Amino acid sequence: MSSIEEKITANFDGIEVRKIEEGRIEVKTKKEALLSTLNFLKDEGYGHLGLVSCVDRIEEGIFELVYILSRYLVGGEVAVDQASLIVKTEVPRGNPTLVTSVKVFETAEPYERELHEMFGIVFSGHPRLTPLFLERDIDLPPMRKDFDTRKYVEEEFESIPPVED
Amino acid sequence: MDRRQLIKWLKEPLKMSNKYSLHVVYFCTGCGIIEIPPSITARWDAERFGVKPVATPRQANLFLITGYVSLKTLKPIIRTYEQMPAPKYTVAFGSCPIDGGMYWDSYNTINHLDKYIPIDGYIAGCMPRPEAVFAGITHLWTLIDEGKADGYKKYRRNYSQYRSNQERLYGELGWPPRFETEGLENE
Ligand code: SF4
Repeated sequence: MSSIEEKITANFDGIEVRKIEEGRIEVKTKKEALLSTLNFLKDEGYGHLGLVSCVDRIEEGIFELVYILSRYLVGGEVAVDQASLIVKTEVPRGNPTLVTSVKVFETAEPYERELHEMFGIVFSGHPRLTPLFLERDIDLPPMRKDFDTRKYVEEEFESIPPVED
Repeated sequence: MDRRQLIKWLKEPLKMSNKYSLHVVYFCTGCGIIEIPPSITARWDAERFGVKPVATPRQANLFLITGYVSLKTLKPIIRTYEQMPAPKYTVAFGSCPIDGGMYWDSYNTINHLDKYIPIDGYIAGCMPRPEAVFAGITHLWTLIDEGKADGYKKYRRNYSQYRSNQERLYGELGWPPRFETEGLENE
């Protein structure tokens, strides 16, 4: 039986698979191939999406999205190698759109809402991209690296006058 | 009961009974709530001081806000405060409600809680230990004795200022409804 790394490289063109350390495998895929990669990995037994997160690589002008998958059962047995897969893909900062992965993993829904709110990434096909945590609209999403929190706090909170008796 | 206080009891029964029956609504924001279970249970036993947690803000007269206040929690804090019957006292817990603490430059944590609701006392520390809570409570007694814990009166006097500060954050607040403020300013 071939290992999961070999299976992935055999099935997809131009995909980078790298073993970071024991139990962690990094898979770098193109943005267009993301859904099919996730689908393929789900069929391979990686049925648990633990996290979707985003890294703002401002020097390179990209957002790097990170999907962490793990598996517990292989053919009804508890998996011996509990490796997690770290699936990474890139979207340009100028036009951060990506197709939603809710159809593959339902648990992606709140994560994608959060990323939409915090990084401004638009997930097309997402059932409801409404605000999740923030109480108000912020023009620039606050987790982006070029968001100046100090300036924002000064403008929004410190400009409010204290109550004079 | 301390016998020397008998005169005080006879003179100002209302104030004294207020002082020794602080029914608290704990607002569990931030990290400070971790110190509340030890301070109200057997180890430190807040009931020695007449401090007792109650189920709803409508039965409470002391409002303890235990930690940083994010934008989302400020709204329920305003609502809770407005539901409490007067006389009511507010005590903020930890350095975050004072000036933001270690969240001073966070986009989602408000810096000065006393711009939005009146605060009668602060317990400084990050986070304060139960002993500090009791020091704060006994100091609150002194303030009540001297008539200095009058935040709820200040809120009524300056209602329009507080309300406009609140609405600068949220836009139209919706609930609670705006009170008629005419005639309250001089009270
Ligand atoms: S003062 Fe310290 S302990 Fe309290 S909420 Fe702020 S950071 Fe947490």
